[in-house]
Amino acid sequence: MSSVVVSEQDEDRVLRVWTPIILRASVLTSSVLLIVGLVAMALVTPGFYVARVHEIQTRGRDAVQQHWGTLAVDALRGQPHAILMVGLLVLTLVPLGRVGFTFFFFLKQRDLAFTLLTATVLLLLVVGVMLGRVG
Amino acid sequence: MLTVVGGILLLAIAAGFIGAISGLGGGVFIVPGLTLLGHIPIHVAIGASLISVVATSAGASAAFVRDGWTNLRVAMALEVATVSGALIGASLAGILAPRVLELLFAAMMLASAYFAARKHGEQQVRTTSDPLAERLKLAASFPDDDGKLVPYGVRNLPGGAAIMVVAGLMSGLLGVGAGALKVVAMDSVMGLPLKVSSATINFMIGVTAGAGALVFLSRGDVSVVIASPVALGVTAGALVGSRVLMHANVQALRLVFLALLLLIAIEMGWRALSGI
Repeated sequence: MSSVVVSEQDEDRVLRVWTPIILRASVLTSSVLLIVGLVAMALVTPGFYVARVHEIQTRGRDAVQQHWGTLAVDALRGQPHAILMVGLLVLTLVPLGRVGFTFFFFLKQRDLAFTLLTATVLLLLVVGVMLGRVG
Repeated sequence: MLTVVGGILLLAIAAGFIGAISGLGGGVFIVPGLTLLGHIPIHVAIGASLISVVATSAGASAAFVRDGWTNLRVAMALEVATVSGALIGASLAGILAPRVLELLFAAMMLASAYFAARKHGEQQVRTTSDPLAERLKLAASFPDDDGKLVPYGVRNLPGGAAIMVVAGLMSGLLGVGAGALKVVAMDSVMGLPLKVSSATINFMIGVTAGAGALVFLSRGDVSVVIASPVALGVTAGALVGSRVLMHANVQALRLVFLALLLLIAIEMGWRALSGI
């Protein structure tokens, strides 16, 4: 496997070109998904939306939770709730994926300190998912 | 449905716009907006706000990164601290009673108003870094008005990181970007030029809020029906607000929004204390 170490100026350029692309792509993709999901919900199941909001206002919690195992299939079938959840996930996960991108970048650069720092952030994010599961 | 979703969207657009103009971020306004006007429980409002903070950060920071204002290495070094704090804060938000969260939110709003009203003095750009910052190659340069690169140094990374843990905690606990506190860490403690600090913080806020949002998402505290229009609205409002900010003198408007912030903080604090 070739591992080309780039100069500091090139390092800067690679990060400055790719990072905004990743960030903008995530906002654009998620915005489209959220608009499509909301429009679909308004057309297909408008009562569902109002009932959910009312339930949150009165009971303090949305009883309808997305099943993670069927999320992709539900979204592809055009289920509005699943499309909206995918939109929110894209928004949340892609900036975090940016950390993954920089981890591999620094690993390739053999920059030990920043490889460790970005790996720690990635590990912490996994801990975050686990904290939510047990919390 | 259109009335309900339209109402949440309008609220979110207003929060994003006011957040951008006041420099406090949309999260500071959308959480009280949803709880006081929309009667949405605060933990659901915080979950939705965290996702909108990620969206605003991603949208706003892209140009700063491209143009060389953001210090990516400083951001990545400090993200360990902010993400740790965000995870603690988001976990605490799942345990604390809504009334306690509302009281903490009111206190945070008052502190934000103070930091926002504080004037920044003339800053001397330092070109030297301390040994740790030198070893991590944190020093960089930013483009001045003529496009010429101005080099600057970085110091006291551990001191900045300590404040960043607290800022991250605030972000995860209350669903805000906590940018005002982060500016203190970078500007006053680490000696970064103010515009570099702002750009770098804008960039870091996304990962910090994203970490908090992950905890809320996996705990089931993110409601898609609330978070979706909130994310869209706050992003749109912030986009318009930042454009207005570039082309108009908004000093008077900023003062009006700061007064509004104080009123909301008093209302929220009173509500929490009186147990309504």
